[in-house]
Amino acid sequence: METKHRLEAEEAAYDDRVGFGFWVYLMTDLLMFSVLFATFSVLRDNTAGGPTGSELFKLPGVLTETLILLTSSFTAGLGMLAARRGSKSQVLTWFGLTFALGIAFLFFELKEFAEIIHEGYSWHSNAALSSFFVLVGTHGAHILSGLLWMGTTLVFVWKRGLDSNLVRKLSLLSLFWHFLDIVWIFIFTVVYLMAFV
Amino acid sequence: MTHKTTPKHEPHHGTMASYIVGFILSLVFTLIPYYLITHKSFGRNELLATILGFAGLQMVVQLFFFLHLGREKKPHANAQFLLGTVGIIFVVIGGSIWIMNNLHYNMAGMQVMDKVASDEALYEVNGKQTGTCSAGTGTNYKVTITNNMATPNQINAHLCDTITFMNYDSTTYDIGFGTAQNPKLYAGESDMTAYGNHNNPLRLTELGTHTFYDTKENKLTGSFTVAK
Repeated sequence: METKHRLEAEEAAYDDRVGFGFWVYLMTDLLMFSVLFATFSVLRDNTAGGPTGSELFKLPGVLTETLILLTSSFTAGLGMLAARRGSKSQVLTWFGLTFALGIAFLFFELKEFAEIIHEGYSWHSNAALSSFFVLVGTHGAHILSGLLWMGTTLVFVWKRGLDSNLVRKLSLLSLFWHFLDIVWIFIFTVVYLMAFV
Repeated sequence: MTHKTTPKHEPHHGTMASYIVGFILSLVFTLIPYYLITHKSFGRNELLATILGFAGLQMVVQLFFFLHLGREKKPHANAQFLLGTVGIIFVVIGGSIWIMNNLHYNMAGMQVMDKVASDEALYEVNGKQTGTCSAGTGTNYKVTITNNMATPNQINAHLCDTITFMNYDSTTYDIGFGTAQNPKLYAGESDMTAYGNHNNPLRLTELGTHTFYDTKENKLTGSFTVAK
């Protein structure tokens, strides 16, 4: 009994260390995003005669992306609750749903990029669009890597069942996913909504 | 190791209820600014402040309900780290916008210089009057141009009045100031373009009596006097 307590305490301390380390990573990632936001804010009007954001962006599509991502953040949270309860099937369901919503988000984002390129503009066109594609694309790349991480973790959960190692991985993953949600909220506001002010 | 630990390790996670509340709040804080933007509800600055405020609220919701910030064990290392990061972010983003706006302001071309002059209500730049009269003030004098003739060709006006050259010819005239033999500057400009079939306004920002002429054929001539 004494040993069991000691092991639990050690594991909790390890969880805390790993959690803090991952949080430090998230904060440095946030700093990188803040530099991209600063670049975009400075260059957003430098369209070199090209279309401005309000001529190029379609708000309904962007709202769809935002709602998808918010919902995926919610399902990731429910998946995490299931993981703490130790319910493997619910973890697979909720994180599976999160995974699908992540794919849907990426689909809408790439569709938007494709439409802009189809209209004859790209990151080559002007400084405003360069900074736009870098900022939004970097967020998209994070979503993609989050999906790869989620996919592999879910395969492990499916094959091996929920052990404490995988629960820890899932908790870091959901932290990452909520974090990307926050970054997106600011992209939604600063890049898209502010273009229409 | 004599550290006391709670027997059951229950760190910072949420409950079903807190996730649902967080989710609903995050939807509300997305839809309100979206509605305000699509319906252009208030003036520019109010709208800007409001949507940024909602983004801030949204962030707080996400941090509190989904990332469970502040509910961890003391000493709240994560929250402190976030606070420091947010400080750096304000410096980076705020500083960039501030510096680049100043740069843009100070290194701009003629068009922006005019705006700068009008923003700062400069009456003179380098000894030249800038044309800073507040919009919509002053009398408007009409000069009709037909068959390369200006009528009336003599105008008595006051500072900040406007002369509108209504050019009924299809030809565009280059109206120079002074005379053909002795060209002069008016308010820092050597000439103005009177486009064919257009109204071409000239704001009177320099005092004194001035003549004008058509630089091509020198047929269209006239003068105007600007008093205080």
